[in-house]
Amino acid sequence: MNTDNIIEIHNLSFEINDNKILKNISLSVKTGEFVGLIGPNGAGKTTLLKCINGINKTDGEIKVKDRSIQELSDKNLATEVSLMHQNTAISFPFPAIEIVLMGRYPYLKRLQRESKEDYSIAKKNMEYTDTSKLENCPITEMSGGERQRVLFAKTLTQETEVILLDEPTASLDITYQEQIFKYSKERSSQGITIIAAIHDLKIAARYCTRLVLMNEGEIVADGSPEEVLTSENLSRVYGINALVYRNRITDLLDIYIHKHNSQKKSEKIHVLGGGGSASGVLRQLYEQGYNISAGVFSHGDSDIGSAEVFGIEHLVEKPFSEISDQRNNENIAFIKNSDMVILCNMPFGNQNLRNLEAARYAKKLVIIEDDSPETRDFTEGKAVEIYNQLKKSAVAVINSAQLHEVL
Amino acid sequence: MSAIETINLRNWFLEVKVTKATSSIKLMIHRFGIIPAMIVTLLVVMVAGTAIGAVYVPFFDTLRIILKNIGLLPNSTFIEGQEPIIFLVRFPRVLVAALAGTALAASGTVMQGMFRNPMADPGLLGISSGAGLGAVLVIKLGLAAVSIFFMPLFAFAGAFLAIFIVYMLSYRKGKVPVLTLILSGIAISTFLGALTNIVLTLSYDYQVKEFLFWSTGGLDGRRWEHVQLVFLPIIISVALMFVFSRDLNVLLMGEEEAKSVGLNAGRTRTILLILISIATASAVCVSGAISFVGLIVPHIMRLIVGPNHKILLPTSAIGGAIFLVVCDLISRVVVIPFELGVGIITALLGAPYFLYLLLRSKKEGGMVL
Repeated sequence: MNTDNIIEIHNLSFEINDNKILKNISLSVKTGEFVGLIGPNGAGKTTLLKCINGINKTDGEIKVKDRSIQELSDKNLATEVSLMHQNTAISFPFPAIEIVLMGRYPYLKRLQRESKEDYSIAKKNMEYTDTSKLENCPITEMSGGERQRVLFAKTLTQETEVILLDEPTASLDITYQEQIFKYSKERSSQGITIIAAIHDLKIAARYCTRLVLMNEGEIVADGSPEEVLTSENLSRVYGINALVYRNRITDLLDIYIHKHNSQKKSEKIHVLGGGGSASGVLRQLYEQGYNISAGVFSHGDSDIGSAEVFGIEHLVEKPFSEISDQRNNENIAFIKNSDMVILCNMPFGNQNLRNLEAARYAKKLVIIEDDSPETRDFTEGKAVEIYNQLKKSAVAVINSAQLHEVL
Repeated sequence: MSAIETINLRNWFLEVKVTKATSSIKLMIHRFGIIPAMIVTLLVVMVAGTAIGAVYVPFFDTLRIILKNIGLLPNSTFIEGQEPIIFLVRFPRVLVAALAGTALAASGTVMQGMFRNPMADPGLLGISSGAGLGAVLVIKLGLAAVSIFFMPLFAFAGAFLAIFIVYMLSYRKGKVPVLTLILSGIAISTFLGALTNIVLTLSYDYQVKEFLFWSTGGLDGRRWEHVQLVFLPIIISVALMFVFSRDLNVLLMGEEEAKSVGLNAGRTRTILLILISIATASAVCVSGAISFVGLIVPHIMRLIVGPNHKILLPTSAIGGAIFLVVCDLISRVVVIPFELGVGIITALLGAPYFLYLLLRSKKEGGMVL
């Protein structure tokens, strides 16, 4: 057996009234990992956490530090594993410090009083979660964020090597949502093992070192966030069309979810864009299921990112160069092949002027004009001249909000 | 001013008064410590309860008679006839009241805590109706005249039988779900109540009256034998409840939360239920069915000292004793030469308070306190 693994779960099944909630789960977690359990509602995330914590009694084997949790007494298990529940409703006005001190319960004998050390551990964790000011405030009078931070301090006060978190931020404002994950990440870098059921996939991808995707009581994917959060996995498990990509602005994994459109349209549309002008257009066309191509973009253009995410065939020119003959011919070929061409609200310079010239070959040209072409012309009038000619032959000149009317 | 406004205004006044009262009491507690203060209050109330009656004995004479008879003040003489009235008639009665009050209030506190329900009360589990059935049988069979112990013993047996059935009905695979427990309690209470009524229907008028007096909670005629009978069970079971204070605090967070810090809720509840049964059945068997003590005393104490059982439980236990001794005193003097059942007084004071709590919780849209 691998001694690096702090948690070993083998063939774990759990059922309520013959209803199988967990089916043959096997999972090993290494010390210091930050594992995110993701999956749709009812996938069994919470149930799995409660099994590891011993709340749900199971026949399968769960080992913490090589010892089966069934052999451990309730208090001994509570010194190894703590669980922060999803919605702890406390209707009695305990002051925060009393709540946090409850984390010391497994360490105290029946008639033993909390020692100075117990208090100092509790206060240290309240300081860490920025709740020291709330020490004497009744928990019933706190905001959701304050209460979760107090409960997190209580969980930390239990001083366990394994911390389980069940949707710790489900009902919180964005201000507090990430805070608990930041604290958790810090702890995991100090060698504490964290397993968290997480609803928000972006947060899961950002903070966890490893993701476990569950569906209908089974583990369907397990690995790094990049490995688990694939468009394919998400589409299969959540039944949605999801695109996973690295956000160029934040450099974090991001997820784009859209309505499922089963029927593909046969109509071909080519999009002339650049400088970020095509992204919204490409997204709308993609959602409608058109057969799309795009170009010619200059290297590094953010429109390229959009085209990649949506899997759109597109033309790219070398950095800081004018559109070459080869790219121009390809572009014209796309245009001739398309039923419609959309000219986006893009800036014109000498580098991309050939995009404008190529638009002449369109069978049906739609021009998107949000800003007047004069303000976008950096060719001293050449572009506006061509643009105005194109306008005469265009079937429609619209602003981008009207795009759906043309489609 | 509309009726609704009037009510709102009155609620507001009540709130203000309560808050003011609580804050000044809190200050007092802070300075002197509430438990010593309450013990002194209890002792004063007990002596007063012994002194006041059809024959009035001055407070300090009463104190000296009690002290003399428990061997603390030898060589004192008193007016003839006072000593037996004080020490053989009134004092044991007051002691029974104090013990019953302690048992009921401590049990109520524990029940509210372990079920996380501020409306829980020892009567809920069929304990009172079980004891009632035992009592009516004693009266019907004429055993009360044979020995004064039959009544308490039958009441005790009935109470235990009731809670045993309720518990077994709710027990499933090592767990006792709270809702099942409470619903079984209500069902068994109703059933035992019906049996009691059958026996009553078949009884003579004087027997019905005797039962009525028992069931409204009477403390008259309680003697040293009664004190001996319940002293140890009540003191020991209540003392053991104190040992579980921290567990009760953790249980307030919910069963799963408790398990997460290593507390086995099921086992703890079972132990606490046994302790409650012993304490409540002991109280009921010597004092009859006294309602509301277990409900309102913990509530009042929670307003004053907060929800922490380490302080709430002892203060409720003492508070229950004070409350019942005072109610018993009122029941004896309010319509001299008659005596009302002490249960009538506790209910007359308790029901309006209960309604007040109910209205308050409705206004706040949730649980009281």
